[in-house]
Amino acid sequence: MQADMEIKQEQELLYEQKKKKSTRKKLDSWLLLLPTLAIFIFFFVLPLFFLFITSFKTFDASSGIGNDWTLQNYVKFLTDTFYLGVLWRTVKIGLITTLAAIAISYPVAYQMTIAKGRTKNYLTLLVLSPLLISMVIRCYGWVILLGNNGVINNALVKLGLIDQPLTLLYTEFSVVIGMVHVLFPYMVLSIMGSLERIDPSVIRASQNLGASPIRTFFSVVLPLTLPGIFAGSVMVFSLAVSSFVTPAILGGPQVKLMSFLTYEQVTTMLNWPYGSAIGFLLIFIATITIIVYSKLLAKSEKGVAIQ
Amino acid sequence: MSYLCLENVVKTFNKTEVVKKMNLEIEKGELVSFLGPSGCGKTTTLNMIAGFLEVDGGKIVVDGKPVHLLPPNKREMGMVFQNYALFPHMTVFDNVAYGLKLRKVSKAEINQRVLEALEMVRLSGYEKRYPKELSGGQQQRVSLARALVIKPKVLLLDEPLSNLDAKLRQEMREEIVGIQKKVGITTIFVTHDQEEALAISDRVAVMYEGRIEQVDTPAAIYNHPQTDFVSRFIGEVNHIQAEVMESNDDQPCKVSFDGYQQVLSHHVPKGVLSEFYLRPEKIQINLENNQGLKVLVERKMFLGSKTRYIFLNNNQYLFADISNTVFNPDQIKEGQEVLAVWNPEDLLPVKK
Repeated sequence: MQADMEIKQEQELLYEQKKKKSTRKKLDSWLLLLPTLAIFIFFFVLPLFFLFITSFKTFDASSGIGNDWTLQNYVKFLTDTFYLGVLWRTVKIGLITTLAAIAISYPVAYQMTIAKGRTKNYLTLLVLSPLLISMVIRCYGWVILLGNNGVINNALVKLGLIDQPLTLLYTEFSVVIGMVHVLFPYMVLSIMGSLERIDPSVIRASQNLGASPIRTFFSVVLPLTLPGIFAGSVMVFSLAVSSFVTPAILGGPQVKLMSFLTYEQVTTMLNWPYGSAIGFLLIFIATITIIVYSKLLAKSEKGVAIQ
Repeated sequence: MSYLCLENVVKTFNKTEVVKKMNLEIEKGELVSFLGPSGCGKTTTLNMIAGFLEVDGGKIVVDGKPVHLLPPNKREMGMVFQNYALFPHMTVFDNVAYGLKLRKVSKAEINQRVLEALEMVRLSGYEKRYPKELSGGQQQRVSLARALVIKPKVLLLDEPLSNLDAKLRQEMREEIVGIQKKVGITTIFVTHDQEEALAISDRVAVMYEGRIEQVDTPAAIYNHPQTDFVSRFIGEVNHIQAEVMESNDDQPCKVSFDGYQQVLSHHVPKGVLSEFYLRPEKIQINLENNQGLKVLVERKMFLGSKTRYIFLNNNQYLFADISNTVFNPDQIKEGQEVLAVWNPEDLLPVKK
C-alpha cells in the first residue's frame, strides 16, 4: 500500500514539474513578442482608442475638440447625401479595383505558377516592381500618360482617331487604374499561393475523366483557388478604400474619397471630431469586409484546406 | 489484333530517349503490370497511354482505333493516381459523379451508378464525406470507383498502393484484382514492387532503361528469365561460376562447381568458365552422402517459416533459404562445414 502511495506521489510531483516547465516555455515565447506588442499598443491601439473617443465629442471652433459628448458627427455623415455619395464612391471604386485586380492577376499568377527557375524569378520581380517605386512617382507617371496633354491623348489626336482630348485624368477611371497598378501584386501573390497548392494530378484526373481544359479550369482549378482570391480581395479592397495618395493625385478634388474627406476635415477644417468619425466609418467598412470574407472562406474551404 | 497495342512507341526528353521503340500487345480483360526500377520509363509509358504526354514516335491503338493523337479527355481511359488525386472540394459522391456529369448522363442514372460504384469498393454510406475525412485506403477506393464508374476502355493504375502501409497494401491489391476480374476490364498496373506485380498480374512486362526486357506470366518471369536484368531484378540470385569439363555437340555438358559435378541439359563452349544464377530457395543441404559443394556455414538467420543460411566457398558468399519444415536448422551450427546441393535445372545461365 505504502509503496503504491509513494509511486503515486512521485508521479504527481513529476507531473507538476512538467506542467511548470510547459507554462514556462509558453511564457518564453510570449516574451519574444513583447517588443512588438509594446509598439503596437502604444502607437496603434492607444491612438485608435483616443480617435474613437474623439469621434463622439463636439466640435469647438477655438480648441478643435469640445468637451461635450455627442452622436452628431455620425448622424451628420449618415444623413447628408453628399457624404453618403462619397462613401458610395469609395466602396464602388474599392469593388471595381478588386474585380479588375482579380481579372488581371489570375493569368499572371497562373503563368508564374507553371514557370520554372529563372523565368519564375524574373516574373516575380516584374510583378513586385510597382511596390519598389514610390507611390507618388508612380502616380505622376500616370498623370503624364493620362493628362489632356498626355501621351495617350496626344497619340490619339495625332493618329486622327479623336478631335478633342478625352477626359482621362481626374476621373474615377484614372483612380481605379492607379490603384490596380499599386495593389495587383498582393492579388497575384495571394492567388499564386493557392494555385501552387493544387496537386497537378488533380488536374490530370479531371482531364482523364473527360473534362476539357476549360471545363477543368471552372470545375477544379477555380474552386480550389477561391481561398486565394478571397484573401487577395480583402487585402486589395481594404487598401483601396483607405488609400490616400493615389486618389489625391489621380482623382483630385473631383473624385473625393473617404480618406481625402478625413484629411480635409482634420487639416483644413480642423474639425477633429468629425474627421475621427469619418475615419472610423472607414475602419468599420474594412472590418465588415473581413468578417464577410472569413464567413465566405469558411464556406468555400470545406474540404479545400491545406492537405 | 490485340485490344491495346503499343507500336514502336518512343518518348524523348531533352534528346535522351526514355522510352525506346516499345512494342506491347494487351488482350481484352487482361491485367498487365509494368515493373521496373525508377527511371525505367514505366510511368512515362503510362502517361503516354493516358494522353498526358505526347508520343514522339509510334502508335497507340485501342480497340482498333489509334488514340495517340487524342487529348486525354477524349481517350476514355480511367486512371488511378499514386496520390489518389481526389477533388478536395467535392464530396465522395461528387467525385465519383464527375465523369458521369461530363457525359451528360441523366440525374437518376448518375445517382444509381455512383451508389453502385461505391458499393463495389465497399464505401456505401460515405457519399457526403470529403476526401480529407477519409483514410488513405478509403481515398484510394474512391479513386478506383471514380475511374471505373465511367466504364473506361482501359484502367490505368499508377503505383496505386505505394502510399499505403504494408498490411493495407496487401488487402487493397487483392481487392483491386477482385474488382478487375469482376468487371473484366483491361488493366495496366505500374509498380516497382515485384512481389505486387507477381501476385496480381496475368502478365508482367519487366522494363529497364526504356525497354521492355521481357513480357511473360509471373511464373515464367521468375523461373525462366530471358535477360540478365530480369534474372537479377526479379527475386534474389546467387552468382556462381563453374568450370566446363566436357561439352560436345551431341553429348550433355558436364560442369564442375569447385569439385561438385553436374550434368546440364544445354550446351556451353568448352574450356571456359560458365556463369550461372541460382535462387536461394533452390539450394538444399546434403547431410547424407558426399555429393555437393563444400561450404562453411558463416551465419544462419531464423526467419519464421524458413531459415536463411549464409555459406562461404572460396571467398564467395552463397545465400540459401531453406524451409524449416524440410530441414531443421538445429542440425547444423555456424562454423560447420556442410555440402550444398541443387538441381541442375534450377541453374539460370547468365546471358550477356
